[in-house]
Amino acid sequence: MRVEHKISFKLNGKSITVKCPPAYTLLEVLRDQLQVTGPKEDCAKGECGACTVLMNGQPICSCLMLVSQAEGSNIITSEGLARGGMLNEVQKAFIDHGAVQCGHCIPGMIVSASALLTGNPKPTKADIKNALSGNLCRCTGYTKIIAAVEDAAKKRG
Amino acid sequence: MKRSEIDVLSPHTLEEALALLQQHQKDIKIIAGGSDIIIQLRDGVVKTEKLLNIFAVKDLRFIEERDGRIHIGSLSTYTDIIRSQHIKRHAWILVEAARQIGATQLQNTATIGGNLGNASPAADSLPPLYALGAIIVTRNKSGRREIPIEKFFIGYRKTALKSDELIEEIYFDGLARNDAGSYLKLGLRKANAISIVDVAVILRDKRRDSYGNVKVALGAAAPTIVRAHRCEQALIGKRLTDKLLREAAKLASQDASPITDIRSSAEYRRKVLGSLVYQALHKAVLRRDGV
Repeated sequence: MRVEHKISFKLNGKSITVKCPPAYTLLEVLRDQLQVTGPKEDCAKGECGACTVLMNGQPICSCLMLVSQAEGSNIITSEGLARGGMLNEVQKAFIDHGAVQCGHCIPGMIVSASALLTGNPKPTKADIKNALSGNLCRCTGYTKIIAAVEDAAKKRG
Repeated sequence: MKRSEIDVLSPHTLEEALALLQQHQKDIKIIAGGSDIIIQLRDGVVKTEKLLNIFAVKDLRFIEERDGRIHIGSLSTYTDIIRSQHIKRHAWILVEAARQIGATQLQNTATIGGNLGNASPAADSLPPLYALGAIIVTRNKSGRREIPIEKFFIGYRKTALKSDELIEEIYFDGLARNDAGSYLKLGLRKANAISIVDVAVILRDKRRDSYGNVKVALGAAAPTIVRAHRCEQALIGKRLTDKLLREAAKLASQDASPITDIRSSAEYRRKVLGSLVYQALHKAVLRRDGV
């Protein structure tokens, strides 16, 4: 028999409560029930990073987190990074550098890169590569992505 | 059973968790960070009617040093371990392993207790814990047990954990200033890879140019982590020359019984173990004395 729980957390700045099976992943509930489709499911094993969201400021794989585990937490997806209708520095830099091809990995990339710059405003190239090592891109070869994050760091000052 | 039919119980204190575990022990599985069990549930490898979600049990998330002994709460994440000054100072080989476990996203949720409970022979935190001589503290409603790590793992993916118990903490004697240690992992690529083999080495009880206590632990080389006893014996109390390190490292594969899987053949694992153990010994000793 289907089990449902009411689960409350903060999503992109708004407090929400959803009624859903408690053993669904956070990603399933975000995409299928809440229509928040920035995070995506690719490998479903914690290798590709397409499902990356922030939980209490830290990047996590939302495909490897039950919605029950998100109870009471603060979740931010790529949709929640913009402030007052303005894209953040990382988002702007990805556009400026054309650091996108098919675009599938980009929401996860941008979430990971934004978390890096919050914790480490002046990252080295090695820091950037390390922070993005859990986000795979099969199109770009990463060069423009890394350049975009370096530029975003500079513009944040 | 469909995932939509699985109930999830989410206690907030250790006491609540232990009571629920005792009550439901026949049909419940523990979920900590979730990074292994969610994959196993999806693949149907693990079947359960209920999950005990201990992710919010703050009592189990701590890292402390008391009298030279390091205590790690089972719900500590790899990020907690990487950031801990106690572990950086007194168990740096565990930091080296934690940094190479998955990527940041996994380090932020995967827990050391989960790595123990999941009991994969390729779990990267385990060789350092074997080399450190860690004690696993388990707990049920009526009390606690302290189990040396080598007795905790009783076979391939099998632990001594009883169905009404959870892992409370791990403790070990921290490394002292004169101790040496290193951790090396060989994966298919540098980041975010499961180990082909990995090695942790610790040398303690330093004398003039030798060590009285040497531990070498091998990961992904047998059904559980194993100690390379012959290699250790060849090094204890001896003057550590480069030649001796090379000879001792060659003995390491004698304690291994590797398998062939998607990451490597058994033959390659056996061959590369010798090199990896040599490199790990060299790195540990060089960092202290130079060889």
